Amino acid sequence: MSTLRDTYEAVIGLEVHAQLMTKSKMFCSCPNEFGAKINTNVCPVCTGQPGSLPTVNRNAIELGVRAAIALNCQIRDESIFARKNYFYPDLPKGYQISQYEKPFCEHGKLTVKLKSGEEKQIGITRIHFEEDAGKNVHAAFGTVVNLNRAGVPLIEIVSEPDMRTSHEAGQYLRALHSILRYGDICDGNMEQGNFRCDANISVRKRGETKFGTKVELKNINSFRFVEKAIDHEIDRQIDLVEKGETIKQQTRTWNSGKNITELMREKESAHDYRYFPDPDLSPLRITKSWQDKVRGAMPEMPEQVRQRFQKDYNLSDYDAGVLTASKELALYYQETVKICSNPKASANWVANELLGRLNAEGKEVYDSPVSAMQLGDLIGRIDQGEISGKIAKTVFEEMFATRKNPADIIKAKGLVQISDTGAIETVIDKVIAANPAQYADYKAGKVKLFAFFVGQVMKETRGQANPGIVNDLVKKKLDS
Amino acid sequence: MLTRDEVLKIAKLARLELSEDEVAFYQNRLGRVLDYMTELKAVETSKDAFVRHVPLDAEPFREDISESFGGRDALLKNAPALEEEGFLLPAILESE
Repeated sequence: MSTLRDTYEAVIGLEVHAQLMTKSKMFCSCPNEFGAKINTNVCPVCTGQPGSLPTVNRNAIELGVRAAIALNCQIRDESIFARKNYFYPDLPKGYQISQYEKPFCEHGKLTVKLKSGEEKQIGITRIHFEEDAGKNVHAAFGTVVNLNRAGVPLIEIVSEPDMRTSHEAGQYLRALHSILRYGDICDGNMEQGNFRCDANISVRKRGETKFGTKVELKNINSFRFVEKAIDHEIDRQIDLVEKGETIKQQTRTWNSGKNITELMREKESAHDYRYFPDPDLSPLRITKSWQDKVRGAMPEMPEQVRQRFQKDYNLSDYDAGVLTASKELALYYQETVKICSNPKASANWVANELLGRLNAEGKEVYDSPVSAMQLGDLIGRIDQGEISGKIAKTVFEEMFATRKNPADIIKAKGLVQISDTGAIETVIDKVIAANPAQYADYKAGKVKLFAFFVGQVMKETRGQANPGIVNDLVKKKLDS
Repeated sequence: MLTRDEVLKIAKLARLELSEDEVAFYQNRLGRVLDYMTELKAVETSKDAFVRHVPLDAEPFREDISESFGGRDALLKNAPALEEEGFLLPAILESE
């Protein structure tokens, strides 16, 4: 059924700020670290003392170039740093050093997979360098400023307005996050604000070619909120248009507690920032030979790991895709295989049991209660016949809940698989004795009852009997 | 000359409250600054690097080595007010 919403389409572009994994800040030697004591990573440069001068961090540039290569951008030989002027105490200089007219790279693209199975190419307008701002903490008696983060290197990755649904935006963001993580460009920690997303959203009637007025949605700091926040904003705008109201260009923020977007401010336009080339910094020259050097030392990207998994571990395209969705997951899988030497079983356990449980609890791989080593250990125990696959699922549940090692759980709960043929035969005799009618029917030709006897034996042994041995022995006993 | 609305918008961005007299004053004064800037535009600068302070042959990069500044106390002492080693400012309210 077609709804009112179907007569509209959304136009979405994303701006992502990613903190670069450097040791020092962008323009000074202060440590780039999270969680330091207030105002300890500060110096004359990042506190904007008169007479101090910025110097560019070489590694920050290299990490930016890595991102440019991974996102298929064209890199400029020469770009310039610009001052973005705004008055706010989180940047005491009164301006942020950024790039405006000539960013260091442009015209990239990123291919994302959609749930329909289709792929969509999203254009990358540009990536530019800039410095992060400090942090203001608002209290009743005033505002307290912490400048530890002021001057930390960022890249801002601006997409083309190529996305039409919140799902596309979510997938773009996940793919981008994955690339930055694989490339050791950004640690991707969203809770610490190291990977932040702003969305530009407008709506228009389907078939319309002009863009509507866009609203900027700030600080969407979780994958879970992205789609929700964008959907909410699309609905809000459609409602306004339907009521005949005009949409104002403004900046809104997502309130995850109330599940609504709220007005932050009317949007300043670019000329309000009075951008101009920073006279303290010479043009940024990224020579071809430097680019080649960075290209030659690129870490493996998700697509490469995916192909390697298919080749080395004989995985399907689908499994390889699931297992390389994030760097953490790919590493987890690799580690599991290393322990148990069973790539196929590892793929099933990681992709189904582990991811299923993690998703259900809203947890990420890095905070999985079951480590790769423990899971590999568990799989090894199945392969050695110590426990059955079915029992292993019970053990896994317990591992997930208690973080205990599989050996301890198997021992404490007496879950060791019964492979002792004598013990199993005793159970089979007992089952046959207890079910004379079924036994007679089987003997009379109802061979389907074989499964009934196997089931009874497994029930008697609480699932702990080795299913292979049970099958063989039941057959032998019934047919003897 | 700037329009009244332009002056009010700039004042809002700068978080300034202007009286009617001041609005008129800045319409005229800021307009004169802009006129002067227009005059400066006539200077040909595209071919020269004299707009930069930095010599072009200077090594433009710093190696990524972190080092604490060491003069933190002096920096903090410079602040007009502190709250537990944070720079304390009058409360910032988002204006609408």
